[in-house]
Amino acid sequence: MLGRKGTALIVFAALLAPSAISAATPASTATASFWYAGTRLVFERPQLRDGALAVASDDLGLGRFLTKLGATLAYRPSQNDVVVNGGDKRVVTFRIGDVHYTVDGVSQVASFAPYVSGGIAYVPFLDLSRALSVDAIDDDTTTVLQPQLSALDVRPESRVTVVTLRGASPLRFKRLSESASDRVSLAFLGIGSTLEHDRAATGPGLKNVSVIEGGTPKNPTTTVNFDAVPGSTHVLVPTDSANTIAIAFAAAGVALGGTAIPADGASTIAIAPLVVRETRVAAIAPGLAPAPISGSVRGGTPTALTLPVATVTSLETAESNDGLGVRLGIAGDVTYEWHRLADNRWYVDLKPATLAIAAREQPLQNDAVVSLRIKSFVGPLDRMPTVRVAMTLASPRAVTIVPQSGGMSLAVDRLDDLSATRMGAGELTGGRLIASIVPLPTPPPAPDETPAPDPAWKFAPTPPAGGNGKLIVIDPGHGGSDIGAAHNGLAEASLNLEISKRLRSLLIARGWQVRLTRDGDSDVFGVNASAHDELQARDDVANAANARMFISVHTNSFTSSSLNGTTTYYFNPDSYALASAVHARLASALPTKDDGIRKENFYVIHHAKMPAILVETAFLSNLADAALLRTESFLQSVAVSIADGVRDFATSQSTVSSHGAMVDGQ
Amino acid sequence: MKMLRAIAIVALLGIAAYVGYRAFVPPIPSGATKMLTVYFVKPETEALASYSVSLNPKTTDIDGVAFYATSQVIAGPPAEISAIRFPAGTVARSVRVTGATATVDLGGNIAASPDGSFAESGQFKSLVWTLTGMTGISAVQVTVDGAKVPTLPGGHFEIDEPLSRKSF
Repeated sequence: MLGRKGTALIVFAALLAPSAISAATPASTATASFWYAGTRLVFERPQLRDGALAVASDDLGLGRFLTKLGATLAYRPSQNDVVVNGGDKRVVTFRIGDVHYTVDGVSQVASFAPYVSGGIAYVPFLDLSRALSVDAIDDDTTTVLQPQLSALDVRPESRVTVVTLRGASPLRFKRLSESASDRVSLAFLGIGSTLEHDRAATGPGLKNVSVIEGGTPKNPTTTVNFDAVPGSTHVLVPTDSANTIAIAFAAAGVALGGTAIPADGASTIAIAPLVVRETRVAAIAPGLAPAPISGSVRGGTPTALTLPVATVTSLETAESNDGLGVRLGIAGDVTYEWHRLADNRWYVDLKPATLAIAAREQPLQNDAVVSLRIKSFVGPLDRMPTVRVAMTLASPRAVTIVPQSGGMSLAVDRLDDLSATRMGAGELTGGRLIASIVPLPTPPPAPDETPAPDPAWKFAPTPPAGGNGKLIVIDPGHGGSDIGAAHNGLAEASLNLEISKRLRSLLIARGWQVRLTRDGDSDVFGVNASAHDELQARDDVANAANARMFISVHTNSFTSSSLNGTTTYYFNPDSYALASAVHARLASALPTKDDGIRKENFYVIHHAKMPAILVETAFLSNLADAALLRTESFLQSVAVSIADGVRDFATSQSTVSSHGAMVDGQ
Repeated sequence: MKMLRAIAIVALLGIAAYVGYRAFVPPIPSGATKMLTVYFVKPETEALASYSVSLNPKTTDIDGVAFYATSQVIAGPPAEISAIRFPAGTVARSVRVTGATATVDLGGNIAASPDGSFAESGQFKSLVWTLTGMTGISAVQVTVDGAKVPTLPGGHFEIDEPLSRKSF
């Protein structure tokens, strides 16, 4: 549709004095300009490096560009790097002299290595722009910098489906549909999209989401259609970023309290906290028409059957040989986000939550924790009721969040945390941890510097050239006319799908784009298709999208019930690193026998054109493994382990790339 | 005299017939005519194991020996021995040796009894190791009900190309 620039040089090239074009010696030249957000963006001191545009870190044009995106840039000479914090919380890090840069920890290759000239850092502008989801698009003689919708996250929960849209810049929209319509259509102005066009949603209240790009390169419009279930309700949900909009959909019978979607809106409008209530439907006498149920509470008596806001009911401490345990009693479901600060303070925020006990601060006679505090407040950005538990640690002690029935425990270890991980988040639902999100380790800031904003965990890396570096294709094995193996009352196809959906939720929460080869109990190619057609169709999903990884999820079986365990298969040599990373997590986290990593010529991992693995999670033909497969905690552990392995793999790629750069630089 | 001439002609015809037969049906190598090594995979360790079976002395051509070997693999070792086995009801429909490749056509329950990936690789490994243990055979092409297929129905292991010992 639109011609997108890769690393091509822009009109800028024509403005350079020929004598100034030197790959070896950057030179200050004339200005370079782009069309951006209705105005011409001009760089004052651009340079040409290896045929690509280099922009000074203090260039006013670059500053304008970043400001409109809600992003900030810091050149840290002592760290020898340039760190850009995106408005959508992604972190782009360039290291001076290293052609590799990272986007949320995932390594990419830039057009040239950033360098310092005259005490000012110069960065590859188009790589930075692309990392922030702003695409350079040809429009006749002009190059347009077009912000993109960078992520669409559909997350089904127990009673609502929450759709989160993230953009490269603050989002503005017009509502195209009537408020009573089952279709909610929002036209996002000034923003393009390379998102998947159609996506089935299987959660409460929502059937499908489609994305349509329109407008011109200079004035793009992206329309997102949400096909809701008839009778469902929907409201806006507070978010933590101006670049993010979230909408909750609930099925009939569940009333949502919050902010209705206005005709003209933006991510910056005040949005009330989400309240979810079930409606009790009156008994219907035989022969009478059912009482109407809509987004309000007609036809039923509103009753707060479940507390929409959780309550923190207790705070207790207990010392052990391992350190200190801080137990929190929590009634209700919460999300949590923890942070480690440079001065050995550590805190966790629970949302939405209120405090049923008195706020307090208490010193502790403990060699791990100096003091402990708990308080409640309303989040300044999201206006969510929040409970914060904070600790001053004796040193950078490791703190582990352990979900427990009726709450959670913060386990403070006697040993220091050497990973320097500074932030994490997750969700506690019904005493279960349904998402455990730990960001990539980041080096601690230098003592004489203000700590940089926390690294983002929510957003995906940008794609490498020629591929979609954000996309992971998950293949739930079998399905539809092929149920796979069946033993002990378990069917492989449904287990594979359940694990895959959990894995999808985790990966999306960590910023990846995820596509399932099948989203329900269905064949991918067609009913009773040949093995070739069915298996190739699964590979085609990944190959056509140029996905970064392909993960096929299976459950093993054998004629004898004696065999058990977890195996990870790979075939192509470049898949071994992914298999190794994922299996290491599986082997350490699961109670099943470790059957190791094996190279086998399995069709789906042979014909996928990217790192591809097939995970046999357990033997459903084995009684002990089958018992595990019946538990949600095991299925979740499998999903978490695979997701953790994916993160380790992405990190290792980054590390390998860094080492490569060092070798290349010698 | 006429009798001697007739005997000579019959003898020559017999020799010609034998030579012609051997031209189209190569003899099985000497030394492999008495015993046959059948491999199987132990499920606990996935290690290969083997046992020997006596060869029917009336089976003298390589296709026949390869068919016999395939049947032995499908039957598997004695029941009391733990082994990865083909699904009960699997049959060897035919085996033909062309050059160094044995084409094994399987049928019966092999197409109707999908088992896990663990079993699949073990099944084909035992088949390939057994057949390639015969002199002159280095690869095995598996077909199902007469057709080349990428995998067994509902299966994983790729079999649309000839398998060799290096495939495992």
